Amino acid sequence: MSSVFRILLRRLAISVIVLIGVSMLIFAIARIIPGDPARIALGPNANADQIASLRTEMHLDEPIIAQYGYFVADVMRGNLGQSLYTNRPVTVDIAEFLPATLELVIFAGILMVGLGLPLGILAARHRGRWPDHLVRVGTLLTVSAPSFVWAVILMLLFAFYLPLFPVAGRLTDSYEIARVTGFLTVDTLLAGNFSAFVDALHHLVLPSIALALSGIGQAARLTRANMIETYDKPYIEMAQAFGFYPTRIARRYAFKPSLIPSLTIIGLDFAAMLGNAFLVEAVFAWPGLSRYGVAVILRKDLNAIMGTVLVIALTFLVVNILVDLLIAFLNPRIRHSTRASS
Amino acid sequence: MTHLLDIRDLHLAFKGLSGLTEVLHGIDLSIAAGERVALVGESGSGKSVTARIVLGLLQEMRNARVTGRVAFDGADVMTMAQKDRAALRGTEMSMIFQDPTSSLNPTFTIGNQFAEVMRRRDPKLDQAACDARATEMLTEVSIPDPGRVLANYPFQLSGGMNQRVMIAMALVNNPKLLLADEPGTALDVSVQAQTLRLMHDLVEKHHTAVLFISHNLGVVREFADRVYVIYRGRIVETGPTDAIFHSPGHAYTRALMDAVPRITGAGLPAVPEVSDDFLAPMVRHDGGAS
Repeated sequence: MSSVFRILLRRLAISVIVLIGVSMLIFAIARIIPGDPARIALGPNANADQIASLRTEMHLDEPIIAQYGYFVADVMRGNLGQSLYTNRPVTVDIAEFLPATLELVIFAGILMVGLGLPLGILAARHRGRWPDHLVRVGTLLTVSAPSFVWAVILMLLFAFYLPLFPVAGRLTDSYEIARVTGFLTVDTLLAGNFSAFVDALHHLVLPSIALALSGIGQAARLTRANMIETYDKPYIEMAQAFGFYPTRIARRYAFKPSLIPSLTIIGLDFAAMLGNAFLVEAVFAWPGLSRYGVAVILRKDLNAIMGTVLVIALTFLVVNILVDLLIAFLNPRIRHSTRASS
Repeated sequence: MTHLLDIRDLHLAFKGLSGLTEVLHGIDLSIAAGERVALVGESGSGKSVTARIVLGLLQEMRNARVTGRVAFDGADVMTMAQKDRAALRGTEMSMIFQDPTSSLNPTFTIGNQFAEVMRRRDPKLDQAACDARATEMLTEVSIPDPGRVLANYPFQLSGGMNQRVMIAMALVNNPKLLLADEPGTALDVSVQAQTLRLMHDLVEKHHTAVLFISHNLGVVREFADRVYVIYRGRIVETGPTDAIFHSPGHAYTRALMDAVPRITGAGLPAVPEVSDDFLAPMVRHDGGAS
């Protein structure tokens, strides 16, 4: 297990470098966009002195390198600065909006893995017969439209024409749930309010399906292709020659080797959901990070933009590290090759 | 005399776009308990498919048409339910393959794969019992430090080691019949010779019958009691190994013998692709068990 630990350390070191790079890039871009943040923040009635004093307070008069220095020093102290849009610390804003987005993305991820992989296995096992054809046509359909299109279609079909699910939001207004984690499915259970939990799940269904559909298709097609390749390997014939049941061969002997190449892509797809979540959130009026992100970009709220981008980059990196660790755990070849090389 | 395996008039055809293509045209072959029988022929002659029919694997393929009689230990493999055929595999009969390293699953340890095979016979075996029995088996195939090998993955072992592991795995459930499909062809010649000698001793000790499939008459001569020569889906010559080697009666057998490379020879002999002589009737040498 120590080699997995070594992989973790190396990936963490790389992640720190990536984060520094992302912060520099966004820092520069945010300041190159035209518009004076101080003027926008103070509104049309502010006089030149007020604007000048806010600019000084925000270090906007100093060279961009010095500004970056102030920013890094603040971040080291866990301070992302004050948002000019909400007038609250950026960390407080993010803590409020991020859980809603994460809840959506995590549910979509569970759907992607929980439906995509079994569908892929099913198609590969019945290759060339009707379950395979059904899965292939179905998944082609889901991958060929982006998630926000699915969001609109699902909303029209299952919230408007057939009012089975709520159109927007995370929870029916009549419920009062004390905020603990910000994840409504968790908070409602912590509050012991089961009907609110069901209501929160009910609100999650359409947005998370819309977000997951292309990922489900991608995961199923990938799993199918890799499984079919694995089925041609001699060790599968050997398993058949030793009389193992076809279901056992599919789930154990063929699935594990073919999961390894699929997993990297599935991990990337999962991380990409964070970006797509912005669009799905917009369609379903989901009070997540996207609403905040778009508002602060339009107001050129520098600190809030930096904070939002950094948090998304960080989530991306964490997901990638988790996937890498999972692959190292599943693939003995990686585990043992790093031991030999380091 | 009763046979462990008795194949009568076995036909195999594959359904393709252009209709049925017959691959085996009526094979008769039998193996007595504990007997080592070789099935020799060039690639495409139908030797590997014969082994897969005995295992019952081809019968489950949708585009294969198999007819004839395959009796194993008194039961007809052709008519029995798919489930019963699967129950025989890995317990009463097992198989070893050409390329040992790619025939073992790369994502499970050797010990894990051993245990799975042993639980085919006895599902209630715990890991400790499996490891003990596997260690015993690995010692029998002269593997040093079996404990380490059990914890290893196939890619950490050499081809020769994996070959021994596969032989041990095939014999661990004490099968009555071992099907060996060109074992060790992927290995170098000296390692192949070592492992074959080892396999020879083991099957003799455990009284396991073997259907040994090969294209190499030199290897067959060392290993088999009796030989069937197969050419284009027909048995063209059969008899005790010595008889066939001393007086090969069929033109194809002679051509096959000339094809075994010799260090002192003058290059590779020219074996014609097809010859009218190769289609001559079957030559049967009497003697031995058949």
